[in-house]
Amino acid sequence: MPKICLLLKEKRPAWVELFEKEGLEVCCDYRLPEAIDNILSQPPDLLIIEYELSPELVYDLLIALKTTLYLPFLPVLLVLSATEFQLDWERYPVDDFFSPDILPPELLARVHLAFARARRLADNNPLTGLPGNTSILKYIQDKLDKGEEIAIGYVDLDNFKPFNDRYGFARGDEILRALARILTNVVRTYAGDQGFVGHIGGDDFVFVCPLPKAEKIAQEIIDHFDQVVPNFLDEEDLLKGCFISEDRQGRTCRFPLPSVSIAIVPNRQGRYKHYGEISAVAAQIKKYVKQIPGSTYLLDRRKAKN
Amino acid sequence: MEAQKREIKRKLRQLQSLPTLPPVVSRLTKLIGDENTTALQIAEVIEKDQVLTSKVLKMVNSAFYGFPKRISTVSSAIVLLGFNVIRTLVLTASIFEMMQSEDLGLWEHSLGVAAASGILAQHLELKNQEEVATAGLLHDLGKVVIRAEFPHFYKQILRLVEQEKLSFLEAEKQILGMYHGEIGEFLVRRWNLPERLVEPIAFHHEVEKARKYKKETAIIHLADIIIRALGYGNGGDPWVPGLQDKAWRWLGLDRKDLEELLPLLDERLLELRFFTLEIQGLGFA
Repeated sequence: MPKICLLLKEKRPAWVELFEKEGLEVCCDYRLPEAIDNILSQPPDLLIIEYELSPELVYDLLIALKTTLYLPFLPVLLVLSATEFQLDWERYPVDDFFSPDILPPELLARVHLAFARARRLADNNPLTGLPGNTSILKYIQDKLDKGEEIAIGYVDLDNFKPFNDRYGFARGDEILRALARILTNVVRTYAGDQGFVGHIGGDDFVFVCPLPKAEKIAQEIIDHFDQVVPNFLDEEDLLKGCFISEDRQGRTCRFPLPSVSIAIVPNRQGRYKHYGEISAVAAQIKKYVKQIPGSTYLLDRRKAKN
Repeated sequence: MEAQKREIKRKLRQLQSLPTLPPVVSRLTKLIGDENTTALQIAEVIEKDQVLTSKVLKMVNSAFYGFPKRISTVSSAIVLLGFNVIRTLVLTASIFEMMQSEDLGLWEHSLGVAAASGILAQHLELKNQEEVATAGLLHDLGKVVIRAEFPHFYKQILRLVEQEKLSFLEAEKQILGMYHGEIGEFLVRRWNLPERLVEPIAFHHEVEKARKYKKETAIIHLADIIIRALGYGNGGDPWVPGLQDKAWRWLGLDRKDLEELLPLLDERLLELRFFTLEIQGLGFA
């Protein structure tokens, strides 16, 4: 149940009731020190805070939450009376504001919008706009908790480092953006709402889909990537079918053209309980996939030990 | 004339979208309405229309997607944009309110040049055959622009062609002070299309100006001539432009190559006829 925290100048039982009716958990300490203590030790999912309470303190609290606690995506709604609209918005890391005499339907709408926006932005990767690690972990753990028969695919580029050395980071970023588009489109096409794509970081991506769709999706990602990749290579390398760059030891080597490797971990009959188990298995499979030249996928078909 | 060129460019800068043939769009709309349609089927139709192809390439090469000037083929564009974006693009495509027989003629001409370019690229074993075909399809985009955006000038050009027996290109220069190659180039550069498409569009009548993509430009130049000589479609006038020495040399082809290629082209054009007949049928039904 999402927790919403109210930090207001005066008691507003009507608001509390309103949110509780919506199925939200409400916390509202009216004594400031306790309130702040609570917020900082157990951050809520959304914070409504009144500016008039103490302009300086409100500011400090926001900075603490958003920067020190690494909660840049915690939605904060500021209650602001009409005389205070001249705030320095550059300085205030809030997401929305409304006046104290807001009508209940609008208040609810703003809260839901803030939740939706936070879910959308969460920890999205700045390069690709895809959800990042926090969302990935949350999504997968949630599916595991429900015991759903899903497959988790770990996607990465082969020889991405030498590619970056040869073509520069800008071109590397272009390829990552293209791969992100391909993943999103393919997973969307075959899994619809049942699919998920995340960007772990660098050239590491992950997708989640219903188990029966996994191999079809992996194969299509590979086909589409191989189809698009020539657009990002120079003619001479295309003709040679390889490029020259340096390996990790600084030796000049020939590298094959960029390809993708996909390691698929199936969660059959609720075999896994924690995200950590999945990523450990993925690491093992990846070792095998990486040894196969060109774009490939590998699905873990090993039986559970018990 | 300089003032007129400036005025034309000013108008090109404001150009939002080019209209295409109503039957092509209605055929696509029908495809999209069918749940079982695949992206590949949609690509096949888009690839047959220069305006829709340029629209898709403009979108995928826009700054928002983060790889400007990279994508030169419809199939890659569809893979990267995804079905939903393509759907929206097609559903918002604008069409000619009044389709004229010249519109259909130019459309067929472009389709023919695309086919011939693809066959030449294949014969010369170029790596990027699909891209060369795309350049062939788009080579006369400038003419669509004149027809759609400057209908008054377009009529004057056609009149000059008919009365003075000038080539379309000469007539363009007299009326506009510039010709379709320059107009096409101006637009596709603004749209961030890859240089490998820009050069053939810009220089298929002046191959000596090509810098990085000489072979591609020469192929489009030759394909244009072959398709006109075969009388396939309508390039705006009944004359066949002369083959430029440089282009012929860059390609390194001889008579025997052409003898081998022409039957292949005939076959391909016959296949395309079925499609164009269907489109014509839809258009005049």
